[in-house]
Amino acid sequence: MTLTASAPPASPKQAAPPRPGAVRRAWQKFSPYAYIAPFFTLFAAFGLFPLIYTAFVSLYRVELQTPGDMQWRGLDNYTALLSDDYFWLSLRNTFTIGVLSTVPQLVMALGLAHLLNYKLRGRTFLRTAMLLPYATSVAAATLVFAQLFGHDFGLVNYVLGLVGIGPVDWQTGTVASQVAVSTIVIWRWTGYNALIYLAGMQSIPSELYEAAEVDGASRWRQFFHVTLPGLRPTIVFTVVVSTIGATQLFGEPLLFEGSISGGISHQYQTLGLYMYEQGWGFFHLGRAAAVAWVMFLLIVVLVGLNALIARRRSRKEAVR
Amino acid sequence: MPIARAAKRATVRLGAVALAGALLAACGGSSDGASGADGKVTLTVDLFGSFGYKEAGLYAEYEKLNPGVTIKQTDTEDEADYWKSLQTRLAGGGGLADVQGVEVGRIASVVQQQADKFEDLRKYGADKLEGEFAEAKWAAATGANGEVLGLGTDVGPEAMCYRTDLFAEAGLPTDRAELAEKWSTWEGYLQLGKQYKKKAPGKSAWLDSVGSLYSVMIGQEKERYYDTSGKLIWETNPALKEAWNTSVEAARSGLSAELDQWSPQWNQAFAAGSFATLPCPAWMLGYIKGQAGEAGKGKWDVAALPGGAGNWGGSYLAVPRAAENKEEAYKLIAWLTAPEQQAKLFQKHGSFPSATGAIEKIADAKDPYFSNAPIGQIFGDAAKAAPVQVLGVHDQNVSQQITNALSEVERKGLAPDKAWRNAKKGVANITG
Amino acid sequence: MTALAGPPTAPPEPGTRPELPRRSRARRSRAGRTMQGGKLAYAILIVAVLVSAFPFYWTIVAASRSNADMARVPPSLLPGPNLMRNFEAVLEEADIGKALLNSLIVSGSITLGTVLCCTLAGFAFAKLRFRGRGALLAVTVGTMMIPPQLGVIPLFMLIAELQWVNQLQAVILPGLVSAFGVFFMRQYLVQSLPDELIEAARVDGASTARIFWSIVVPVARPGMAVLGLLTFMAAWNDFFWPIVALSSSEPTVQVALRQLGGGYVHDQSVIMAGTLLGTLPVLLVFGLLGRQIVGGIMQGAVKG
Repeated sequence: MTLTASAPPASPKQAAPPRPGAVRRAWQKFSPYAYIAPFFTLFAAFGLFPLIYTAFVSLYRVELQTPGDMQWRGLDNYTALLSDDYFWLSLRNTFTIGVLSTVPQLVMALGLAHLLNYKLRGRTFLRTAMLLPYATSVAAATLVFAQLFGHDFGLVNYVLGLVGIGPVDWQTGTVASQVAVSTIVIWRWTGYNALIYLAGMQSIPSELYEAAEVDGASRWRQFFHVTLPGLRPTIVFTVVVSTIGATQLFGEPLLFEGSISGGISHQYQTLGLYMYEQGWGFFHLGRAAAVAWVMFLLIVVLVGLNALIARRRSRKEAVR
Repeated sequence: MPIARAAKRATVRLGAVALAGALLAACGGSSDGASGADGKVTLTVDLFGSFGYKEAGLYAEYEKLNPGVTIKQTDTEDEADYWKSLQTRLAGGGGLADVQGVEVGRIASVVQQQADKFEDLRKYGADKLEGEFAEAKWAAATGANGEVLGLGTDVGPEAMCYRTDLFAEAGLPTDRAELAEKWSTWEGYLQLGKQYKKKAPGKSAWLDSVGSLYSVMIGQEKERYYDTSGKLIWETNPALKEAWNTSVEAARSGLSAELDQWSPQWNQAFAAGSFATLPCPAWMLGYIKGQAGEAGKGKWDVAALPGGAGNWGGSYLAVPRAAENKEEAYKLIAWLTAPEQQAKLFQKHGSFPSATGAIEKIADAKDPYFSNAPIGQIFGDAAKAAPVQVLGVHDQNVSQQITNALSEVERKGLAPDKAWRNAKKGVANITG
Repeated sequence: MTALAGPPTAPPEPGTRPELPRRSRARRSRAGRTMQGGKLAYAILIVAVLVSAFPFYWTIVAASRSNADMARVPPSLLPGPNLMRNFEAVLEEADIGKALLNSLIVSGSITLGTVLCCTLAGFAFAKLRFRGRGALLAVTVGTMMIPPQLGVIPLFMLIAELQWVNQLQAVILPGLVSAFGVFFMRQYLVQSLPDELIEAARVDGASTARIFWSIVVPVARPGMAVLGLLTFMAAWNDFFWPIVALSSSEPTVQVALRQLGGGYVHDQSVIMAGTLLGTLPVLLVFGLLGRQIVGGIMQGAVKG
């Protein structure tokens, strides 16, 4: 018995079970993997694999009717993409709709956050009410807005008509339709971003404001010289998230008229919708995968650019 | 820490909701079994648009004739959506109904690309039915080795539907024979439209959209997008170009209400009376009744189509290989497409029969909704004279690109040659 | 990748760090100092609230009228008598009932599964030592910002291969993957679960499993609730993948709404009735737990 005790815990010759302490030690070494296993199994199968495999699929001709049958095409999907005017158009639309929706949304959110940061009666109500649009689904919001933006019987055109404007063709006009689609995005996300900003504002140390007040800085000066710099990381964060959101914008343009081409002239077709049209309108899955991969690269570039600008600005300010 | 404390309460509530969902998931899974041992069968039928079987009471009748059979229908309004969803389910197995509808613009795709995914109905004796159907209708659903992949439901002989009340107000004749003569050509139709425009009541236009004009015109042709060898010829097809040019002229003369067919705005326009004419395949009659409602009764009439007979649309019923109750499904579709039922459907819903026996039965049909127009005769004549169309794999998608481009001319004032180029780009994307 | 990843210990912004206790203390200390809101501030905020709420009101108006009312100028701004009739029509035509049930099943399962998986993994990343911990966490955080939409094509091929198209598990299983959730739970536990507590339990001879259930879960509960809420809403509102993987014969609410928006036969007021029915459950959750959702987002949520 003493012999076994001093021997290595799991001697192959010994049929006797190793001591409980050894089991526990081994288990303690491996048990962490048991805790992450459920997540990583799912993550590998439904998260990581599809992302990586997209690049692979984009080099093949795969049709939706026969997803098992893949024919090598090399870079043909990409060249076809680059020579399709509608691809470039949807890229441009993604950009313009992205700007049209992100900029007003974040500016308004900043303003609202500033106001919400005042001492207010019923602020829980105000915050909750402002977050209400966020709780709505893209589909529901878009259907309602599509109705409001109707050409002949829409409320928006009726109101504009009262002040002598219109009727605006919110479906066919390039700018008009993009404004309409952007409006839906703005409506859904402004309150959400305002709350993010509000959280950021509340984490700015109050000593900074006190010091500014001692210096006799007005409210406005405080906003620009204390609040904004303090919020910079938050702003960068929201810009990044909104950029990613804008790059993959899909539901709003799809449901606005129920058209997978984003209007008769593709006037508000985004990259996300273009990908869907290729894959589930024309059934070219390989081509759609190429679009997805382009979108991925685009996101990487945009986010990188963002980071770069943010870093450059902070360096500039440090110099000053 | 108010948030944390409240959140603790939230856990309980949320947990309850989530648990309820998960329990439902556990219980819901197995209840869908279709055929029981007791001879009871639930047949699922998945269709698009409005076939009208349920509305015409045909399911109820079949269930009465076949005790133990229950029919459950699902219906996708937009055919393009329906087709997408059918394709994904064919590719990925799950959730195919026992009976699936197929539009005539897709039947070539079924025959040429997916013959192995649908039942060859000869197995159940469908080959005996061949003589009952119009020849072309039957041939289009027949595979390379003679497989019968679907049974024809309706065809879409074309006519012109118009609003007698608006015509009268604008000082135009309202008699269908007189009109048929005046618009014996498309040129005449546009002339009449220009005349209408001068005295148009309210803000009404002559025509709903140039898309529908194009669609009926191309329906008058034998060759449209493909030739008989399966080559894509639409770009050089002179008949297509002519339909395009006429549509462009209608757009530029301001004859169209510039509506997008099948859109909510288009739907609303029926009740609002925004247009005076609507080129109408037979199946459109049911649609008009549905949209214009009781208020529209007696205001509409039907006359022969300008420029001769044509066909737009029509459908098939098919049984997927993966269906659960194939034999029962075949019995149902054979019954639904039999002459008696097709005739009944025409009378109730307007869908024009593809079974020759049914066409005779309805020769004298009149429809009070459409000012007692002899629809049996008008559509029957059109069906007889309509050309046998050459079908291709991408018919539906290609025609969608062209009507889109025409809408650009109509609603955006885009130069026709630019719009034509856009259509070409769109088609390249489809076939690429 | 590198642009998105960032060092795992430094989240993109302070707001994403769930530092509950410190945050609320900071707020309290500032509250005394914060300026009183003036009349103008109230006016602007009330306008903002009205703008936020108006589409909901309009949905109710439209859902309670008829198609003919919707095509009338000037439009009617008050609710009408047809609400029930339109509900019936939409239950009949778009099978919203089945869609609601499916959405409840899908969102419920995703919520339970996600919270469980993420708490387990978050605990391991926060408090356990094992090889490859840093690398695995980096991969997780690195993919956090990549929209899952980009992997949709292989995912579809996978689902088709498994013959899962049009079945609910096709939506549930991929929905369980939440890199954000893992990160969120890890941060939460790093902040609020003292190491001493775990060590004390270890000394008492408790196994890791025992520690997890009787120490970690109780501490993590508020974080789990917030994650659950956000997950439930995101799952309920998810759009792209369900419309790809499901169809109108097995719809979630969003699939049914897409169907309603497809035009063809429907009348506008029926579409709005469907929209209303499909939104009510989330509004209900929001009404009951709105404050917690606001709190959760302010602790730092990521869009989605």
